[in-house]
Amino acid sequence: MPTITYDKNDLLNLIGNKMSDEQLEETIHLMKTNIESENESEITIELTPDRPDLFGIEGLARAVKQYLGIETGLKKYSIKPASVNIRASDISYRNHIGAAVIRNVNVNDAFIKSLMNIQDVLTDTIGRKRKKVAIGIHDLDKIVPHFSYIEVDKNEKIIPLDQESEMSLSEIIERLPKGKEYGHILSGQEKYPVFTDARGIFSFPPIINSEKTRVTENTKNLLVELTGTDKDAVSQTLNIIVTNFADRGATIEAVKIFRGEKFESTPNLSPSTIDVEFSEIEKWSGVSFHKEDVFELLKRMGYDSVENKGKITIYIPPYRNDILHPIDVIEDIIISYGFNNFTPELPSLATIGSSHPVEKTSSKFRELLVGFGYQEIIRPLMTNPRELFDRMNVKRERIIELENPVSEDYTCLRNWLLPDLMKMMSTNKHVEYPQDIFQVGDVVVHDENEETMSRTVRKAAALIAHSKTNYSEVKATVESLLKQIGMKYTFKDSNLSHMIEGRQAIVLVNNKEIGYIGEINPVVLENYGIEMPCTAFELSLDSI
Amino acid sequence: MNKYELTPEGKEYLENSLPEKQLVDLLKEKNSIDFDDAKQIKNFYIALQWALKNKWVRSTGKEIILLNYPEHVPEQEALEKLSKGEDVDENVIEILIQRKLIKKLVYSEADKMVGKEVTTLTPELLKSGLWKQVSFQKYDVNTPVNRIYPGKLHPYRQVMEEIREKLIGMGFVEAKGPLVELNFWNADALFMPSDHPARGVHDIYMIKDPKTGKVVDNDLWKRVEETHKTGWIMGSKGWGNWNFELAQRLVLRSQTTAVSARTLYKLKKENLPHKMFVIDRNFRPDVIDAKHLVEFDQCEGIVVGEGLNFRHLLGYLKEIAETFGAEKVRFKPSYFPFTEPSVEGVALIKGLGWVEFGGAGIFRPEVTLPLGIEVPVLAWGLGIGRLAMIRMGISDIRQLYSEDLRWLREKEVVR
Repeated sequence: MPTITYDKNDLLNLIGNKMSDEQLEETIHLMKTNIESENESEITIELTPDRPDLFGIEGLARAVKQYLGIETGLKKYSIKPASVNIRASDISYRNHIGAAVIRNVNVNDAFIKSLMNIQDVLTDTIGRKRKKVAIGIHDLDKIVPHFSYIEVDKNEKIIPLDQESEMSLSEIIERLPKGKEYGHILSGQEKYPVFTDARGIFSFPPIINSEKTRVTENTKNLLVELTGTDKDAVSQTLNIIVTNFADRGATIEAVKIFRGEKFESTPNLSPSTIDVEFSEIEKWSGVSFHKEDVFELLKRMGYDSVENKGKITIYIPPYRNDILHPIDVIEDIIISYGFNNFTPELPSLATIGSSHPVEKTSSKFRELLVGFGYQEIIRPLMTNPRELFDRMNVKRERIIELENPVSEDYTCLRNWLLPDLMKMMSTNKHVEYPQDIFQVGDVVVHDENEETMSRTVRKAAALIAHSKTNYSEVKATVESLLKQIGMKYTFKDSNLSHMIEGRQAIVLVNNKEIGYIGEINPVVLENYGIEMPCTAFELSLDSI
Repeated sequence: MNKYELTPEGKEYLENSLPEKQLVDLLKEKNSIDFDDAKQIKNFYIALQWALKNKWVRSTGKEIILLNYPEHVPEQEALEKLSKGEDVDENVIEILIQRKLIKKLVYSEADKMVGKEVTTLTPELLKSGLWKQVSFQKYDVNTPVNRIYPGKLHPYRQVMEEIREKLIGMGFVEAKGPLVELNFWNADALFMPSDHPARGVHDIYMIKDPKTGKVVDNDLWKRVEETHKTGWIMGSKGWGNWNFELAQRLVLRSQTTAVSARTLYKLKKENLPHKMFVIDRNFRPDVIDAKHLVEFDQCEGIVVGEGLNFRHLLGYLKEIAETFGAEKVRFKPSYFPFTEPSVEGVALIKGLGWVEFGGAGIFRPEVTLPLGIEVPVLAWGLGIGRLAMIRMGISDIRQLYSEDLRWLREKEVVR
């Protein structure tokens, strides 16, 4: 979830209404947002990814104004005819572009801050870290028509933003931080996409702008260009940016994008529509609203709406990209009405609750093991092969390993529980003995018959440590455990390398092997630095 | 006072009478009997010896003749009395000891204690009755004693069990799902777009080998694909794209909502209404610190039934919050990729103030319809780790899986 810091004075100026901190907070809280922190001059808000139009301070102010009824309904934006053209060639891997000219901007600190903020957050979220959409904003007066979007050789040079001398495009990818961060988007391409003016390259999307078009305090007019892989995402992001500028009093001017003889004019700020049945609103919200109330509620969320043959046709503002289905508008009606104005109601749905059989069995085992005086432990399922096999003196086998572990300690899922107990014991060597600990939990093993090629298995394991523990003790414990559960069991000789030869056994229930018991091999105890005899058992609960 | 115990032979005679008594009983009707016939009595010679000695019979060498049938047999009566712990005449005792029918009980340890102050009441003192002749050393009631550690459930388990109990009580049926999961169930079936940020390599663990799982129900996959690409039949725009290879990819489950999706898919119409809950482990890559772990438990539930709406969603959220001790509950808008509308519950909890306790929402039609569910599905989730930390009184999330045995032993039970 993006977290954005806004200039509080700027926000209040944009809202244009005097509000107390409490009022502001209250309103912001009602809009799918969380206030993370606040001081005299700044307010930091966590926003949800479905409302990128609120990421910019202007968009947030607009929503607050609508919600408070200061300025409701679909906001109209006018676009001046294009005076600037871009000639675009087809670049298969990044073919969608959008552009606009913004005139008469008033570049002050708040504006620059907001500009930087929104660019980064939009390209990170809706732009999927610049892969889907990247944004470039330039001082229009520093470039000279004609503009083109073309592919050029990697050795072509520009002065990148914040640099003093020329670099080739491939040098930028290799050496500059932005190049390293986003270069992978262009990997495998023989040439690189650029925007050029009459004098050369002024933008290298999706990596970096040129120093020569830098926006400064003297900037009056802007060229906004967007490139990306998804047409809708490119145009919606453009809409969010230009409407934000317009809300600051700037003028939006279209740009004609030519492909051969054909051209498309961007941005397109005409509202899209969606039809919603009145009955659906009542069905989902649980409240039967008057039609007029629905229109009013929609206005406070920035929509216009009209009744149309029993349905309601809703005009969606061009900066909203999150309306996929009528339910999305119905949610806005609910938000507009106010969540806390709904009367919660518990329906009378008679159902009988029950626990899962695996949990039921697990609870019984835990109850009995606690009865033996054992302490339960809970450990993570993620571990590594050193713990699972090497320290336990057993051969490595095929387990569920991760392709992208974050640390060497957590590279796979456990396939048995005993290593957890051994590790626990090794970190508690100075704690009073006897130490009797157990764990009832899941392990995961490969199973090609399953949809997920694996199986989650519930196991119970215990480790007993005191100076006189031996095979007889652990056998007596397991016998008693299985007897109490009502299982018929047998034991047979085993040869498991983590236990002492001749002092271990396999446990069978209904002729099926369900686990082992025995005395821990001193080799293993030494590996863990444990100087106390230990016995252990581990049983699979799946067949119990 | 001495105590005596019957020997095995003494016990036998207690039950079957002394041999000499058996002999005279045999003679009582007939007055005489052949030697050979009399030998049916076990220990015949002992019987004859004592009967002769007592002058109850005489022997001709061929026959035994009754002289005098005894009304009382003091030894027999003594055996009975001793077996009941009653007193018996010393002379008879001597005879019984001589005949090895009883033996005197010796309490060497207890005997030494007589008249003294003892520290322990022993079984011997009780058996010998000598406890009456000793006095007991008095304890200083505040004397320091050794620590005892009972076997216990992990405090985190105690919290989880409490939650399970409450949810079962509210009519929820517990469900489970695989920990290694198909992306399909973990995200695609939940209408999370193929390029959703939470599906990237930094946000979800991928399985190394094998990389892909199986497509079990082709039709289901087609419905989900169509929903993502075009919105299928439900009047949605969809996402305009879908990545089949990504859906097939095996991952570690990152949200228990995967279990909700599987439950909905399996749910039959005749089993409606239905309430399900799951408490289980999930995995997400992260830097481990006091606030983050790479694995965590989630608790979530769904309510499936005709006519459910937003007010019912708030109703359940309120009910759940109150079950866990909330004094007041408020709701605010929220966002989850798979629900619309979505709500965050904020509860006033004594001693804590207003805290976020869980999220909820109504599953989007893009989620339910491809899974074959045509009625509304309310879904909610609880921050179980956070709840547990509050109940356990800990501030470092790593302590949920504590390796510190001393801490676990000393930690009081969660109430």
